Order: sequence, then structure tokens, then C-alpha cells
Amino acid sequence: MPDEPEIPDEELVARTRAGDPDAFSDLVVRYSPRLYGLVYNMTSNHEDTNDLLQEIFAKAYRSINGFRGNSSFYTWMHSIAVNMTINFLKKRGRRQGMSLDDVDSNIQNDREFIEITSGNDPRHEANLSELQQRLNEAMQKLSHEHRAVVTMFDIQGMPHAEIAKVLGISEGTVRSRLFYAHRQLQNYLEEFIKR
Amino acid sequence: MGENPDISKLLRMKRYEQPPPGYFEDFVQEFHRRQRAELLRRPTWKIVWDRISAIAPGFHVPQYAYATIAALAVCASVVIISPRSISPTNTLAKADPGVPAISLTSRPVTIGDTLPVSARADGSLPPHYVLQARPVSNEQPLSF
Repeated sequence: MPDEPEIPDEELVARTRAGDPDAFSDLVVRYSPRLYGLVYNMTSNHEDTNDLLQEIFAKAYRSINGFRGNSSFYTWMHSIAVNMTINFLKKRGRRQGMSLDDVDSNIQNDREFIEITSGNDPRHEANLSELQQRLNEAMQKLSHEHRAVVTMFDIQGMPHAEIAKVLGISEGTVRSRLFYAHRQLQNYLEEFIKR
Repeated sequence: MGENPDISKLLRMKRYEQPPPGYFEDFVQEFHRRQRAELLRRPTWKIVWDRISAIAPGFHVPQYAYATIAALAVCASVVIISPRSISPTNTLAKADPGVPAISLTSRPVTIGDTLPVSARADGSLPPHYVLQARPVSNEQPLSF
């Protein structure tokens, strides 16, 4: 039996506005994994991510009547998530908290991961948690705005144009932020990258 | 510009950092629980406002409406609170520009302070005086 076609976001938004509570639940189910990745990779903390994500969806629910449809719901949700996360990070200041215990064990079977971390030089052999910690530390050294761009582009695989819409900046600015952020990350993670 | 393959490969590994299994199912339940709690905490005026907005979705308060209402309220307060511009002195001066204005003082006013306002040419009536906008006379009050 073929899968039921996915209900478009716009229809779920319209139903939410009409007072259907299940419609917004469907949007939460649809967007929470993706937004979790976005928020987590900006905060590097699972507990903060959980609370923040709840607030992000609550804010979206309250503001859904203000969603005019000038952009896609996807862009609108990501804009709310990025703005709220940046505000949260500004308030949190320099406090850093990383939970490194929740790593998906699949990462150890990932071909890319093995390829990157196993060089001929034993110095390149890094264990998973050390590499993850260094990655998180490197990410935390970036400014909030640079981290947002890196998260959306490198981790979430969003195209430049979509990132530009979410952040309300030009594609050129997205590219220049990426260039600067990659240079910073490369300096910090040099020893983990095969030459 | 902006793409560094090695860095990008490393960063892609972060996709594997996921919450524990079952997290997203619990997340939706938690979202519903928080929504219900928030509804209970909401002030009544906000609930009423939301219902009005839901009934008339096209109704929006104009951007400067609040500022205009505030400005009108200030203007109205100024008009109400400020002293009246028309005083007895001004009335007298307007009534007869030739007559000097009498200023209001806390000193008791006597007949000597008043000035004749009008008198008939034939002298049939005694001259009238104005004392603080009240007509006065030097006649003795009638007594029976």
C-alpha cells in the first residue's frame, strides 16, 4: 500500500489557524528533528536545546496568525529558531555546556568518519569523544552569526539562497561568513584533518 | 568561495549527534503539556483578545493608533486642567475699554475701590458700581 502523500505545510498552517490543534502537532512532528539539529549545533547542549525548542514552537504557535506566507513555512520556522537561539546565546554569554554522552553510536560505522579520522600518522587517530569535543569547542569559538551559517550549510546541508532568506542577508554575505568561519575552524582543527 | 571540503566533512559528522531514541515522541507530548499549562496561566484579557482576533482576522490596530490616542488624551488633559482664559478682569476690559481693569487681590474690597460704571444723564438713578462683577450701590438696603 503506497504511503499517503504528505500534507503540505500551507494546509497544516491554514488548519492550525482555523483552530485544529492536531494540525500544529503535525508541524511539530515534521520540524522538530530538523530544528533540533539546528539549535543543538548552535548551543552544543542538549538540555538547552530541549527547552529552547519548546519555546520556539510555542512562539510559532502564538505567532501563526502573523505568518503572511511571503516566505515558506520552512523559512519562517528556521528564522524564528535562529533568532531565538542567537538571543538565548547572547543571554547565556560565555557559559558553555556540552553533553557528549548522547552521541549516536552509528557515527563509528560511518565511512566518512573512519576515512577522516584514520590517517597513516597516529597523531591523526582521534577517538570519537575527543574529536567531538574539539568540534564543539571550535564551533563555540565562532560568533553566533557565523555558527548559524556553518550549522545550516555544513551540518544541515541547506543551500546558500535558503540560508540568506532565513537570516535576511544576501547570498554574498552568507558566502563570506562561511569562508571566514571555515578558516577559523581549520586553524583550530588542523591536527584532525588529513593532509 | 566559502567551501572547505575537509572542514565540511568534519562538520557533517555532527549530523550524527542526535537525542536518545523516543525523544521526539516525548517532545510532542511535552509540547502539549506546556501549551495546556500556558493556557491556564493566561490572563483573561489576552484570551478575550485572541478570541476577538480569531473572529475578525482582518482586524488590525493601525500602527500609530496607540500614539494618536495617547496624544489626544494629553491634549484633552491640558484643556481640562489649564485655568480658564476668560477672567472677570478681561470681561470688564472688553466691556468698556476706557475703564481701567480691576485686578483681583486677596485684600477686602471696599466701595472706595470701585469705579462708576454707568449713570443716567438725568441723574434719576444713583450711579452704579461694579465690584468683582457684582453690581453694587450706595443705597441703603430696604428694610421693612
